[in-house]
Order: sequence, then structure tokens, then C-alpha cells
Amino acid sequence: MTRTTGWLTLAITLLARQAPGQERVDEHWALDPNGAVRITCPFGKIRVRGWDAETLAVTGRLERGAGRLSATGDAHVRTIEATGPADLEVHVPRALTVWVTTTGADIDAVGVDGKLDLTSVGGAIHVVGTPQDVTAETMNGSVELAGGTGRARVKTVSGDILLRGASQDLGASTLSGRIVVRAAGWQRGGTGVQRGKFESVTGDVRFEGELGRGGVVEVESQSGTIEVRVPVNTVADFDVLTIGGAITNHLGDAQPKPRPGGTGQELRFSSGVAGSGARLTARSFKGSILLQTFPPRAASQR
Amino acid sequence: MMCPHMETTLNEYVDGMLAARARATVEAHLAGCAGCRTAVAELRALVAGAAALPKTVEPSRDLWATIEPRIVQRATWNVQRVWWRGALAAAAVLVIALGLYRLLPPSTAPYRPAGQGWAAVQADFDRATNELSLILAAQRGRLRPETVALVERNLGIIDAAIAESRAALARDTANAELQHLWAAAARQKVELLRWATRVAAS
Repeated sequence: MTRTTGWLTLAITLLARQAPGQERVDEHWALDPNGAVRITCPFGKIRVRGWDAETLAVTGRLERGAGRLSATGDAHVRTIEATGPADLEVHVPRALTVWVTTTGADIDAVGVDGKLDLTSVGGAIHVVGTPQDVTAETMNGSVELAGGTGRARVKTVSGDILLRGASQDLGASTLSGRIVVRAAGWQRGGTGVQRGKFESVTGDVRFEGELGRGGVVEVESQSGTIEVRVPVNTVADFDVLTIGGAITNHLGDAQPKPRPGGTGQELRFSSGVAGSGARLTARSFKGSILLQTFPPRAASQR
Repeated sequence: MMCPHMETTLNEYVDGMLAARARATVEAHLAGCAGCRTAVAELRALVAGAAALPKTVEPSRDLWATIEPRIVQRATWNVQRVWWRGALAAAAVLVIALGLYRLLPPSTAPYRPAGQGWAAVQADFDRATNELSLILAAQRGRLRPETVALVERNLGIIDAAIAESRAALARDTANAELQHLWAAAARQKVELLRWATRVAAS
């Protein structure tokens, strides 16, 4: 009796997994490893996975009766379009260029070394790996890039942005979201940020990690707090200014001074020989700016 | 029509901000895409117009005079025209912002544009963002309610930020840093409006 009940439970579980309202998708096409794929899906989840095959494979589930999946194009450029909510896993040749456009689906891309252009209105965007170039835009979803990209441009309206890893050329812009950058230097397989521009209106911005030799990083916020945390041995010129906030510097002895005319504070100093390292500029209208070592020095060491 | 995914890249291409490899990729794309070639030609014309602005941040009204009739021309609209109109208005605003940004000194050295010239720049921004707002209002029904709420909430945030920096600028017109921060906030507003109109038109 116990055994029968066990088999019945297993059968019910298996049946339940194949939800009656869903339609399975399993399609494959040959694809040029240096080609491109465009994926459009209004809602659900889109997982893009790079692999070492010259094949484009789409698996997953569509909501039955709420749309269909179509594929057009050729072996160089293929377009995959789901017209209804879907949960798709798309395997692509690693070096492919991938465009994804969605209204509300979350996008998750792993292991793609080519170019990623990901746009969502309300979904989150998550990228892991070493793509050559990433453009990610979402209105209120969050964006996370982990690994290392040659170049990344990320934009949100209210979504938070997290960029971590060994990327060289980074740009992030948000209106009310928060930006966190954790940049890996040579000790962790990177070269530090060579070029970075991070801007917000009300969101806080935190840059934490290593600046590339000769790198140029600009951080700007209207009213968010700006935090810059760099290793204690960083060689860089710092140019920091706030109109209505306060500047706190724990990177050295230099202290901010009032600007001419009494509008705000400014702080300019170099750690190491001036002009020989990186250049960091921070600007804020009324937010505070904190310069700190990374990892933070104990109070007794200051 | 320009490929939607090329918008950012083409702007950077025209601005000369792409690395050699990326530039070569764009040029290869342009060779086979008439829509993007047209977009590049338009952007170059607009940038050339901005570059012709006098160095005193006394922006030429001629630039706006050539752009405005194209923006305000009210033909029979279809979705594509609405998109292009939004893109053109946004491009105009961005070019003005770009021209302004480029004219600002790189340092915080005192910079004193004529007050009247700065007021004209702000007026141009207002006019362009108003145009985009009208386009968005016309397209509002095509957006999901939560998207409308999100856009309105963030427009409120950005308008408050712009008002703050504008008030500070009114007290200290010659402050180059304030001008820069105001321009950055204004650019964010344009981008939000442009994004919303693009989503509505898609």
C-alpha cells in the first residue's frame, strides 16, 4: 500500500511539472558562430547561454494560447520571436552578437563572448562572463554585470546597477537607482578601470576597486552620495567638488576647502607623482562625497 | 529607418568616441544599411551645427531655427513618424547639450558666459523637452499603466533636480560647475522622455 501511494505521488508530481497551460519549445538551427541572433519576448524569462557549438538552440515553455514562437532569418542572422509570455533558454555560439528586446522579461546571459545588446522595460538584466561589449538598458529593473567586459554601457531609470569584475571601459547612468562598481585590478585578473563614467540624479554612486594606470574615471550625481574606495597604493589625481554637500577624505591628509565665492567645497590632490597615474573626478550638486581606502583603513591607522 | 540597436553606437561613432575596432564594425554595418547611413548623416549635420556655435556659449538661434520647423511640423501622424519626431527632437536637444558640454571649460576655472546666452540655452532645452512631453502625452495610451506611473514618478524627481540646479544657477549664473550639473540633469530628462516615447512607439 505504501509502495502504491509512493508511485502515485511520483506520477502526480511528474504530471504537475508538465503544467497543462504550457507548451514546450525545443528548436535547433545551424548558426554562423560569428553571426547574430535577435530575441524578442514580451514577458517571462530569457536565459542566453554561450556554448561551443555552431548551433542555435531554443528550449523552454510558452504559455499555451497566449502566443507563439516564430523563427526567421538565415544561418547568419536569426530572429526568434515569442509573441506571448515565455520562459526560454537560448543556447548560442559564444562569439555571437545577441540582441534581446523585452517588455517585462528578465534577461540572464551567461558565457557569451560576443556583443550583447539587452533592452527591457521592466525586467532585470544579469550578465555573467566576458562579453566583448555590453549595452544594457532597463527602466526599473536592476542590472548586474559580473566578469569582465571590454566595454559596457548600462542605463536604468530607477533600477540599481551593479558592475563587478575586470572591465576596462564602463559607463553607467541612472536617474534614481543606485550604482555600485567593484572593479578588479591586476591582482584579480584585471587591469583596473581605464575609462569609467558613472552618473545619477538622486541615486547613490559607489566606486570600489582599482583604477587602471592612466585611467580616467568620472563620477557625477545631482543629490546622491558619492563614495570612492580605492587601494591605499593608488597613484592618481583626484578632483572633487560639491556645491551643497560635504567632502570627506580618508585617502590622505589633503582636506577640502571652500570654493571661491563660497559655493560649496572642492578638493584637489595627487596620491603619488601628479599626472603619472589615473585621474578621478567626482562632482555633486548637493550630495556628499567620501574618499576612502579599499579595504577601509582602521580608524587608528588614519 | 535606423536600426534601433545602433542608436547609442551611432551617436558615439559620430562623436568619434569609438575605438578603431568598433569604428570598423560600424563602418561595415553602414556599408549595408541605408537607414543608419541616413541617421549618421543627420547626426553629423546636427553636430556640425552645434560646432558652429560661438565659443561664448551664446548658442546660435539659427540651429534651433532649422530644427524647430522639422519638429513642429504636424503632418498626419503614424507611429513611425511619431518615433522619428521624438528621435529628432531628442537629437536636437542632445546636440544642444553636447555643444554646451563641449563649450564648457574642462576645469573649474571661472567662466562667465553672458547671462542672456545661458537663458537662451535653458529656453531651448525647455522647448525641446516640452515637445517630447507632448509626443509622450499623445502616446500615453500605448504604455502600460505601471510604465506611465514609473515615468511620471521619475519625471517628478528629475524636474525637482532641474529646478534646484536652475535656482542655484539663477543665483550664480557664471558657475561652470553648476552649468555642467544642470546640463547633466537636463540630459537625463531628455533621455527619459526619449526612452518613454520609444517604448510607446514600439
